[in-house]
Amino acid sequence: MAERTAVLASRPTIRVQGAVKSFDGRVVVDVDDLTLGKHPIEGLIGPNGAGKTTLMRLIMRSLKLDRGKISFDPGDGSSPEVVISSESAHAIARAGVVKTNQVIQDFEQLTIWDSLLLAASQPRDERAHRIYRERRVWSQYGDEIQEYLDLLPFDNPLGFAGSAGEKKLLDIIRCLLLHPKLLLLDEPTAGLPAGVRDRVMGLIKRKAVEENVSVVIVEHDLNVIWNLSEYVHFMAEGSVVLQGDPGWIREHETVVEKYLGKGHVGR
Amino acid sequence: MSLDWLSHYTVTVLILIFTTMGLALLLHLQLGLTGIGNFGLVGFYGVGMYAFGMCLVHIPWPESWGMVWPFLLSLVLGSVAAGFAGLLVGWLIVGLDADGILLGTLGFASIVYGLSQTNRSLTGGAEGMGTTDFPYDIGSQKANTLLWLGILSVVVALLLFYVIRVHRSPYGRLLIATGQNEALARSLGKPTFRAKLVMFATTSAFMGLLGAMYGVMLHYMRPVELGITVTLAAMVGLVVGGAARSWGAVVGVLLVGVLFELVFMVWIPFPTQWRGSALPVIRQMLYGATLIIVLMTRPLGILGRMRRDKTVRRPDRG
Repeated sequence: MAERTAVLASRPTIRVQGAVKSFDGRVVVDVDDLTLGKHPIEGLIGPNGAGKTTLMRLIMRSLKLDRGKISFDPGDGSSPEVVISSESAHAIARAGVVKTNQVIQDFEQLTIWDSLLLAASQPRDERAHRIYRERRVWSQYGDEIQEYLDLLPFDNPLGFAGSAGEKKLLDIIRCLLLHPKLLLLDEPTAGLPAGVRDRVMGLIKRKAVEENVSVVIVEHDLNVIWNLSEYVHFMAEGSVVLQGDPGWIREHETVVEKYLGKGHVGR
Repeated sequence: MSLDWLSHYTVTVLILIFTTMGLALLLHLQLGLTGIGNFGLVGFYGVGMYAFGMCLVHIPWPESWGMVWPFLLSLVLGSVAAGFAGLLVGWLIVGLDADGILLGTLGFASIVYGLSQTNRSLTGGAEGMGTTDFPYDIGSQKANTLLWLGILSVVVALLLFYVIRVHRSPYGRLLIATGQNEALARSLGKPTFRAKLVMFATTSAFMGLLGAMYGVMLHYMRPVELGITVTLAAMVGLVVGGAARSWGAVVGVLLVGVLFELVFMVWIPFPTQWRGSALPVIRQMLYGATLIIVLMTRPLGILGRMRRDKTVRRPDRG
């Protein structure tokens, strides 16, 4: 047991304390104390309107907290804890907290390679006077990008992402190229073809296990959650009401009543 | 060398065209790539022009420095002043939406225009301020102006070269990403505000340099030189050529400028009595018609959209 706690302590984690967010007087998120990332892959589930996506956006600072504090512990001992609720969105990504988008997001005029090189490039590559840096950027990040493209092929990687599925996949690879320490996946499988979905999930699982990335998945396709995650947070009406092993959560009376419906039990 | 075939007027018009082309190239970085619609670029141009003039006239340069050093230093100081103006205005506006940027930059241009008419002891007020002749003398006034055109065209060519390189560098990719989906770029760890601010300040500094260089050609700076027409000429040229393309500014400004300033006003031998009243009006009408036709048939300008699928390749594969 002592050994297990040591492993837990070394993972990158996010701690949400007293976080409140309301829209027009209606409280959408009210999380007292929540730690995400103690396990390699965790699931965050709950009915529509439970506040899952809002909580994610609060973590990424694309929404501002009304009250409370969110901090990130990189878990490697070397870097100190970051209070991400007072950092800017780009600093949060640089600190290692990265989220894929639920709604498709893309740069219309950037090709697939462009988009991936953009994600991989560091600030020192992107200075205004570095007009001969392109060659260096390709040689530095090209191989890593090519590996992803070999694993998850696109129709024409030098062209633009065409279908919704390609854009979604591009979004996920962009996030992986940032070398996240804690990766939030907001409905990653929606819109992906089945074969690609399995490969993406396999890849995510490898990152979590081999590279110590903490992954938190928000997903409506519960089979993904039951298969992958080792721990599940159940949200309803803005708060995390239950936490536990997937097996326990899926049988729990509250979850069944509020979310799954009786039919889901035992399937 | 005989220069009889070339009129002095043509040379000054060419300087105007090249200055506009330079401004349009810089505007391309702001508007075409980063999506900042700077409708007050004449303000930065004006700051550069007047800061150059005031430095040259009012700073007690030592006699022993001769003519060239004070001149060059004033050019640098003028550009730096415009760069600082860009930093300040940029800090206020680059985080705003398109409407805010439009109003903010227009407002800045009005402020510069207003300031250029006040503080008579510094700026000469509405009457203007005489500055200097060219810092060299190679013979006739026409030859001197022609050499200045040569120097200006080198500056503009360097700007074009920089723009082309930016399209093929990670910096350009960052600017395009920022212009197209800023929230997404930020979520990828890109400090978009800072990127826009740095870009805005540096391009403003070069707008200032172009203003100062145009001021040199004028010899005499007046507030009327800082009207909205300067902004519009650059904006129209860029949009007609293709705002998203590196050559758009060149193609558009050449088309509009050469056609309407040179061909129409100088080269076609219209009867002299037309020149007074009818010709400027016809010219304005044709100008408007050209704009409408181009934007109806090629809404993204003559060169069309950015084609990164054609330009971006792994370098070692050619």
